[in-house]
Amino acid sequence: MKKQVAIILCFMIAVFLSCSNSGKQKLFIYNWTYYMPDDVLRDFEKRFNVEIVYDVYPSNEDMFAKLKSGASGYDIVVPSQDYVSIMIKENMLSPLDISKIPNFKNIDTAVLARITFDKGNKFSVPYMMGGSGIAVNKTRVAKYEKSWNIFNRADLKNRMTMLDDMREVLGAALRSLGYSVNSTNPQELDKAKQVVLGWKANLCKFDAEAFAKGFAAGEFWVVQGYAENVMREYDSTKTSEIEFFIPKEGGTAYIDNLVVLKDAKHKDLAYSFINYIHDPKVYAKIIDYLRYPCINVEAKKFTTKKSNYELSDIANSELKNDIGESLELYNKIWQEIRVGR
Amino acid sequence: MKSSSLKRHRISLFAFCTTIAFFYAPLLVLILFSFNESKTMNWSRFSLRWYADLFMHSRDLWEAFCNSAFIAATSASVSTLLGTLAAIGMYWYNFKFKKYVQVASFLPLIIPEIIIGVSLLIMFGVMGLKLGLFTVFVAHTTFCLPYALLIVSSRLDEFDYAVVEAAYDLGASEIQTLLRVIVPVSMPGIIAAFLVSVTLSLEDFVITFFVAGPGSSTLPLHVYSMIRFGVSPVINALSFVLIVGSVLLAFSTKGLYKYILQK
Repeated sequence: MKKQVAIILCFMIAVFLSCSNSGKQKLFIYNWTYYMPDDVLRDFEKRFNVEIVYDVYPSNEDMFAKLKSGASGYDIVVPSQDYVSIMIKENMLSPLDISKIPNFKNIDTAVLARITFDKGNKFSVPYMMGGSGIAVNKTRVAKYEKSWNIFNRADLKNRMTMLDDMREVLGAALRSLGYSVNSTNPQELDKAKQVVLGWKANLCKFDAEAFAKGFAAGEFWVVQGYAENVMREYDSTKTSEIEFFIPKEGGTAYIDNLVVLKDAKHKDLAYSFINYIHDPKVYAKIIDYLRYPCINVEAKKFTTKKSNYELSDIANSELKNDIGESLELYNKIWQEIRVGR
Repeated sequence: MKSSSLKRHRISLFAFCTTIAFFYAPLLVLILFSFNESKTMNWSRFSLRWYADLFMHSRDLWEAFCNSAFIAATSASVSTLLGTLAAIGMYWYNFKFKKYVQVASFLPLIIPEIIIGVSLLIMFGVMGLKLGLFTVFVAHTTFCLPYALLIVSSRLDEFDYAVVEAAYDLGASEIQTLLRVIVPVSMPGIIAAFLVSVTLSLEDFVITFFVAGPGSSTLPLHVYSMIRFGVSPVINALSFVLIVGSVLLAFSTKGLYKYILQK
């Protein structure tokens, strides 16, 4: 009996020792799941002799709710553009002194020019820019047009999915009609609704979680989604079987941004971290891991792998902005689409 | 006669085998696919790449695991200690509203987790406590406590109070009676309470989701944040490592379970 207790105690002590903290300065980062390779974080720790405390979230909403419910102590978070503007309005962000981030000059000016949510980058530094598109299984679908109209094809009925996300789906429909993805005009939205209802007849389902697994298993042939999600699930030796494209009409785009929170305790270290991320060699490493379009001009020289799509592909895509009070109109239309009226 | 008893025997054996298969089939699938080269659910070939990933590039996963283990060990110890003392108190002393106190102490068992989570979050907010490992520890201790209390109490209920009186008659002081009679008698209950608390704490998601703060993601929280983007086979690898770990632990402490069951 004593021996058994001793074994349990030893086990517990072993766990604690392996988890014990060093007395180093800490940087608290709250980031999207799978959004920064482990090596990059470890390398920063080594270079600056600090420790990174790293938590992850699956959506902007989760992150925002957590911060609002009292999780103080994070230094850096990575919200998308609409949440940057919300967080600025809510006075949650610390203004940035860009002179402390010399590598900011490496960022593509074409990307900076598209930023409307934080003009002049007073609060945020872009981390990644991407857009949603369509992935097609070429072994099943031989011929197709690179357009949202692919969802009108009745011969692919029940083999297609779109994201369970009203801004993405309505954005795609608005864009296919030539309107802005941020449209708040009821007539335009009504036309978009009719388009989506037309697509819905051919869709298997709206799904933002399991569709990539289904696509990888060959169950779905055409899916709307983000390239990195689809590619992550797909067998890495068979990626030549599929194609990811941004429809020619464009679609929704996003920029995820590094921001420093107002109550951050390690602001200097946060500056060093943001600057470190945009170091060309480091940024190239991240791009090779994520296969995003490279927004750091200098880093392009160091990348070794091909991105899933390039910045030029999303030139036609439009950033989703915070639509404010029109959110209710969107919710209503989305509800009507989902219940099929 | 003989053949019918054999038949019955066969039926129960069949039931036993199905139960075992039911329990272990998902685990076997999980273990099998942790050795799959491909990340899809199609078998390609044997590979240890997910284990390499797990041990070389998944520090955040291990940190979440360490947080879980740390919280489980500390909150289980504290809630078992408090629960045991409370159970002994309720057993030993008679007071006016004992019945009501007893019922009230079991109420948290049936309150939905989400309400406990929200109320704890509000309470921490009012107290001005910063969310983090400490608040997770407090929350886990809170919800493990009623279970510990229940388990130790039920052990004590079976115990003949005359033995305590006999100890007094033989000149034992209150402290001596506690340490020499009551604690040894309730030991199997105390150990069971500890093990149940560890399990509850390790698997809790809902309450932890509300009260976690910077640097306190537990394993369930971490896995949840991965689901949205597809669970990677690294999780399968980690599960296998954990299964092996708990099997080893269970075997090395086999005597402990025997002790709980027999005494």
